[in-house]
Amino acid sequence: MSSLPSAPPKPPLWRDTRVLRWAFQILVLAIVAGVIYWLYSNYQTNIAKSSIPTDLRFLDNPTSFTIPGNDLNQSQPVRDAFVQGFYNTLRVAIVGILLTTILGTLVGIARLSKNFMVRLVATSYVELIRNIPLLLLLTFMNLAVVLQTFPRIEDAWLPLDLFVVSNRGIAIPWFEGSGAILLAILATALVVTWLVVKIRGRVSDSTGKPARSLVWGGPTFIVLMIGGWVLLGYDWVLPFVDDRATSGGLRLDPSFFALLVTLVVYTSAHVAEIVRGSIQAVAKGQGEAADAIALSGGQKMRLVILPQAFRIAMPALGNQYLNLIKNSSLGATISYFELTQIAQITVGNGSPAVPAFTLTLLVYLMISLVTSVIVNIANRRLALVER
Amino acid sequence: MTWMRRNLFRTVGDSLLTIVFGALALYVLWGLAQFVFVTGRWEIIQVNLKILLVGRFPEELLWLVTGSVMALAFWIAAAATSSLTTKETRPSLGIRIWHAVQRFGLLAATGLLLIALAGDVASVIIGGLILTSIVMGQLVGLLRRKIAALRTISSWIWHLLLAAAPLAMISATLLQASVDLWEGFLINFYIAIISIVLSFPLGVLLALGRRSALPIVRLISTSYIELIRGAPLFVLLLLAGVALEFFVPSTLAPDKIFRAVTVFTLFTAAYIAEIVRGGLQSIPRGQTEAGKALGLSTTKITSLVTLPQALRNVIPAQIGQFISLFKDTTLAGVALNVLDLLNVGTAITKQEDYLGQGLIYEALAFVALLFWVGSYVMSRESQRIEKRLGVGQR
Amino acid sequence: MKKTVAIMAALAAVTLVVSGCAAAEEDTTSTETAATETATMETASSVLDSVKEAGVVKCGTRDALPGFAVLQEDGTHVGFDSDFCRAIAAAVLGDADAVEMVDLETADRFTALQSGAVDVLVRNTTWTASRDGGEAATFLHPNFYDGQGMMVSSDSGYANVSDMNGAVVCVAKGTTTEGNAALESSRLGLDWEVRSFDETDLILEAFLAGQCDGWSSDVSQLTGLRSAYPSGADALLILPEVFSKEPLAPAVLDGDTQWAQIVNWTILATIQAEEFGITSANVDTFASSEDVSIQRFLGLEIASDEGSAVLDPGLGLPADFAYQVVKQVGNYGEIFAAHLTPLGLERGVNSLWTDGGLMYAPPYR
Repeated sequence: MSSLPSAPPKPPLWRDTRVLRWAFQILVLAIVAGVIYWLYSNYQTNIAKSSIPTDLRFLDNPTSFTIPGNDLNQSQPVRDAFVQGFYNTLRVAIVGILLTTILGTLVGIARLSKNFMVRLVATSYVELIRNIPLLLLLTFMNLAVVLQTFPRIEDAWLPLDLFVVSNRGIAIPWFEGSGAILLAILATALVVTWLVVKIRGRVSDSTGKPARSLVWGGPTFIVLMIGGWVLLGYDWVLPFVDDRATSGGLRLDPSFFALLVTLVVYTSAHVAEIVRGSIQAVAKGQGEAADAIALSGGQKMRLVILPQAFRIAMPALGNQYLNLIKNSSLGATISYFELTQIAQITVGNGSPAVPAFTLTLLVYLMISLVTSVIVNIANRRLALVER
Repeated sequence: MTWMRRNLFRTVGDSLLTIVFGALALYVLWGLAQFVFVTGRWEIIQVNLKILLVGRFPEELLWLVTGSVMALAFWIAAAATSSLTTKETRPSLGIRIWHAVQRFGLLAATGLLLIALAGDVASVIIGGLILTSIVMGQLVGLLRRKIAALRTISSWIWHLLLAAAPLAMISATLLQASVDLWEGFLINFYIAIISIVLSFPLGVLLALGRRSALPIVRLISTSYIELIRGAPLFVLLLLAGVALEFFVPSTLAPDKIFRAVTVFTLFTAAYIAEIVRGGLQSIPRGQTEAGKALGLSTTKITSLVTLPQALRNVIPAQIGQFISLFKDTTLAGVALNVLDLLNVGTAITKQEDYLGQGLIYEALAFVALLFWVGSYVMSRESQRIEKRLGVGQR
Repeated sequence: MKKTVAIMAALAAVTLVVSGCAAAEEDTTSTETAATETATMETASSVLDSVKEAGVVKCGTRDALPGFAVLQEDGTHVGFDSDFCRAIAAAVLGDADAVEMVDLETADRFTALQSGAVDVLVRNTTWTASRDGGEAATFLHPNFYDGQGMMVSSDSGYANVSDMNGAVVCVAKGTTTEGNAALESSRLGLDWEVRSFDETDLILEAFLAGQCDGWSSDVSQLTGLRSAYPSGADALLILPEVFSKEPLAPAVLDGDTQWAQIVNWTILATIQAEEFGITSANVDTFASSEDVSIQRFLGLEIASDEGSAVLDPGLGLPADFAYQVVKQVGNYGEIFAAHLTPLGLERGVNSLWTDGGLMYAPPYR
């Protein structure tokens, strides 16, 4: 009987892969740490020559500027201005993402239409927008459209007598009264409508009669909204021109308008491509099966294709939303008071540059991470459960 | 007629859509045609053509730029036609010409437009010279295919020899004309090309690092990639504009181009890393296992088996990233006040002769045209390469 | 066992790095004292030495403010501030053209100074306390006492600032005008909407399009811009109210007193020259002056009982710096007349003290 083989001889230290791996990692860590330390010490040396502060105390200094569109007092600390900038970024980001999704999906579907003309228009739109820089589009919207094409306030356009359009902004009719309560009414109406639709669905399941959710749900929603509006005494306020300004209604800052339109147009072109690709990626059999059970085109799109397409598109869409949020920083070039504009102004007013911009970067990073998390959650809930 | 009926007027609703969108399209096209040919005042572009394209590049050294473009055209034409692996059966001359028009028609049309705008003999001569160099390149390529002696030179050496011409011209241009004066469209290309070249190795390293089994390396790579990808490029450029000099020893005086290239390189490296990582993930595990079965070390497997395949698979995505980078170089114009094409375009409307005349439409239209043609041609070439490499099919 | 060793080694590396950072951190928690300590411990290369070594004075300026600094086709800068840059070069290096003009945007004018990209900033910058303290800048004698005003279009119907209730006022980002405009608005209860733009060009676009009711900036800037307005200067009206003090002064970086004094005395020399009546045309005739104060000023030999001597007050400037400045550039009045009077600006508070203005140079002795 041969003896059991003894344990293999241990390789010498310099050939042992485990040691080598750790040694390599420590080397990499040391190099990276060394580079960071070198940068940091350069920074300290250069900063020490002048007495510029390197901490965040500048946040307590008074801003000495105001922000159009809200009541920031110029003696409030800089951090309040940053918070306002943050809100403005969120405002343009949320509205932008909503509009982009709607427009992008429509254009994406249009690109696959059987109608040649629709397809042509959609394809030209997408190919045109996708190949020009965002900044060019923004400059065009700002300088060419808002400043040149829109009229001066004295000659403002009054389409349908409901809107006031000039190069000082666009005023739309708005309600007068508490916004929070209106949101509550909206929420209640939505909930009740959803309940009605569910009930109709269940009735239809048990009796076999058509659900006609739209016929039931639509009027419910409208009646509730109008009822709430009238009962609580809300009223429309129409804007009008009042000596070089608009009174009444909601005024959209021209820079906000230009930035929003640019971001929506640009990002929707990319979203359209993603939606198109994901619709094409849905297995052809699905569409054919939908045709086989005589679903109409709209039903096929709504019930079969789009849900599956969105599952495929979700990660790429999330990416585009992140891009939109990051691209909103270009609002600083057209005087829209979002986060980057605030940072630039405070730096020009004496705040130390590196801490201010680093803070801005960290805020954007945080927004990106939160959006990524939300998108990941949506992705996971939509994802197919694989067995 | 059948085609029209099927595609445009299938149902009532369909016909309605056709009419509405058709009317819209006609309206836009008519307005555009009017703008371009009738009401547009293109004098501002004609007068400023040079500073739009190359900025304050010294007049007497412009021949270097022309020479570089010629050398590049020669190289590309020669490299394309000297491939020894094309099929024997080539389609008729007519079809070949049609293909060439499809492929290069847009570029040629833009070139003709520029010559028409410049309106002087010099630009016609330049156009002719570039055309000549393309033809010469094709001849040289043809020579290689026909002459047996040249066929024996290995591909590598042949392509290296060909590349010597453009390399020499470009180095000469770099040395003679100070980069400070490179502005306009030229600087967009310059920043984009240098950034993509520098960011590529860094990006590949980061991608490998992110997939590494070593935890510290993976941590460092992932943090870098996620930090950069969460930051807006504009803010990074602003930060570099005011802060870069604090992070380098005071003997180095970073100028605007240096800052721009640094930021673009670091930024693009993170995105290249993600692209390459995606490519590496798409390689079937069997490849790595086969490599291990052959007894190759991990490094050898990565460098000889997985990485080449991954890089080949993601060429279209990388070209897409380059196109993005090319368009993003306009941000350097507003953040660092680099006088790139867009910046010059808006600046010329403020010249004494043109201020306050609403010429911004013409200026932006020209800038948009140049960027659009550049991006569109590059993305179409990328699609061609994708098809030829058979990405996703093998 | 090997794993523990590896982990210990990693921890050691991390501790090393962190302690290194902490050490650097402690250096700067006490900013003031540390700054002076490290400044003196630094290799004392003063700005004067580096300027002499480079052979040029790097002057931070701008490229398109009519009257103050305008970039010409041939690459030179012409204007009030540009002349003071050249005066500094003439004083330090003896050659008014030994100056490198660095065009700066408003946003990076102070960071350029802080990083050493420019030696001196002569860019119609207002001297304020927070800039002295927060931007690490030392401001010298103002070369122009200005104030902030408001410009509107002539057919707007405004005659005074108090008429502009609810108006849209456009300013440049990151300047004192922003804060002053907001302050003025709240003081007068006028509820302005203050929009801030990156550069003057953008304000001009917005103003031409009618997006702004008023354009607020230093009166000197407004005058220059008005003179270059495409629809003609009469289309614009500068309202009579001046609502803040805006002393425009050159600035240097904190910490080099010698360089600060050099720049200061160069400016004062132009004022003193005007007081003496010395111009670039007649400066050579003063070579034989008997007036001791003029002899001291121009670096001429002063005869005394012990023999002749030339005054050297120990500023680090050559003895005849004032002569070079006046000969190659001119005195304050000449510089003003060459660039600002054509715009329509009066001397006003910028006259000599003998004429009731604020320009007063301490005696050069």
